[in-house]
Amino acid sequence: MAKQEEDRILRVWTPILLRTILITAMIVLVTGLVLTYTYAPGYYVERYNAVHEGHLIGKETLGALSERMREGNPHAILTIGLFVLTLVPLARVAFCFLLFIRERDYTYVAFTAYVLAGLIVGVLVGSAG
Amino acid sequence: MLEILISLLALAVGAGFIGAISGLGGGVFIVPALVIFAHMPMQVAIGASLISVVATSAGASVAFVRDGWTNLRVAMVLECATVTGAVIGAYLAGVVPTIVLELLFAAMMLQSAYFTITKKGDDILTKGDPLAEWLGLGGEVPDETGKLVHYEVTKIPQGGALMVVAGLMSGLLGIGSGALKVMAMDYIMHVPLKVSSATSNFMIGVTAGAGALVFLARGDVATTIAAPVAIGVTVGALAGSRVLAHLKVESLRIVFVIILLLIAAEMGWRAMSGI
Repeated sequence: MAKQEEDRILRVWTPILLRTILITAMIVLVTGLVLTYTYAPGYYVERYNAVHEGHLIGKETLGALSERMREGNPHAILTIGLFVLTLVPLARVAFCFLLFIRERDYTYVAFTAYVLAGLIVGVLVGSAG
Repeated sequence: MLEILISLLALAVGAGFIGAISGLGGGVFIVPALVIFAHMPMQVAIGASLISVVATSAGASVAFVRDGWTNLRVAMVLECATVTGAVIGAYLAGVVPTIVLELLFAAMMLQSAYFTITKKGDDILTKGDPLAEWLGLGGEVPDETGKLVHYEVTKIPQGGALMVVAGLMSGLLGIGSGALKVMAMDYIMHVPLKVSSATSNFMIGVTAGAGALVFLARGDVATTIAAPVAIGVTVGALAGSRVLAHLKVESLRIVFVIILLLIAAEMGWRAMSGI
């Protein structure tokens, strides 16, 4: 594929990809804050104070998130918003991966696969503690 | 709750704004803002900052992509190095003592100040080294007259080694390490400044994203802090990039350097006095 064609695809699709995820994340985060303020302000202040004292590191795991979702705690929406935000780089790299596959540029398919794998290893390393 | 939210949002908007007009990114300012003004533990500030860096990089990328100077291939080759560094750095951030983080942060502030002072013009290569040419890393960029000139790239292993360090610092300290990335590309690999800045912005998002995923999966991101900070930094960065076109950034350079030196001094002092 010509370099111009690659540039054209990137210029058209990257802003759409970026804006969609960024706006979605912001909507989720603002909604979460409004709901927390309305329904669970005490819980928020309690957690803020605990973090301030340095007590809450290592306590906001995926398990804790699903528990809060079951409880209907709006705090869970905030955590989901943060996860959506981290989809931005994942989606950009995944998009490049598909682009290089389409171009049959296997050297760069390998580089991009390594970066994608690195992002996934990050999740595994974090989950393992 | 409202007072907490307003103060976190205000700090984050300010940090995002200065990060955008200085070109250094939000992370450099959000960590000290949270640690010094909101009295947050360093690790909490780092987790919140990593997420914010992802947001600001994404916001700024739209403009960079439209201009078209991002070199996707240079980004992908070097991201292999930064992502490796970032995952290791984010893992280490959970076990390294705060004093080490404060000292490293001070060192990175000095490096950013040095870069802000010495930012130089382009030294465009017409012939790259064999590895760079095999990888097809060259590209085109407009010169002062607007005419497109071809540039080639050199010294990938040296640039890559510095990128591992940039990634490590990003994961350890919650910053984008943009100043280090641009320096590696511009000073060592001879990538033109315009292309280095745009490419670095793309890379910052991916590097910080890798670090943020480690922090999120480990449960080390304090949502209470990170959520309002991410919103505030994004708003501040968007406002900053709007104002940027009307500002004489050259005359502000000395102000940025003074702020960076003050942060370095404060972090160094904290490390020494064991705060």
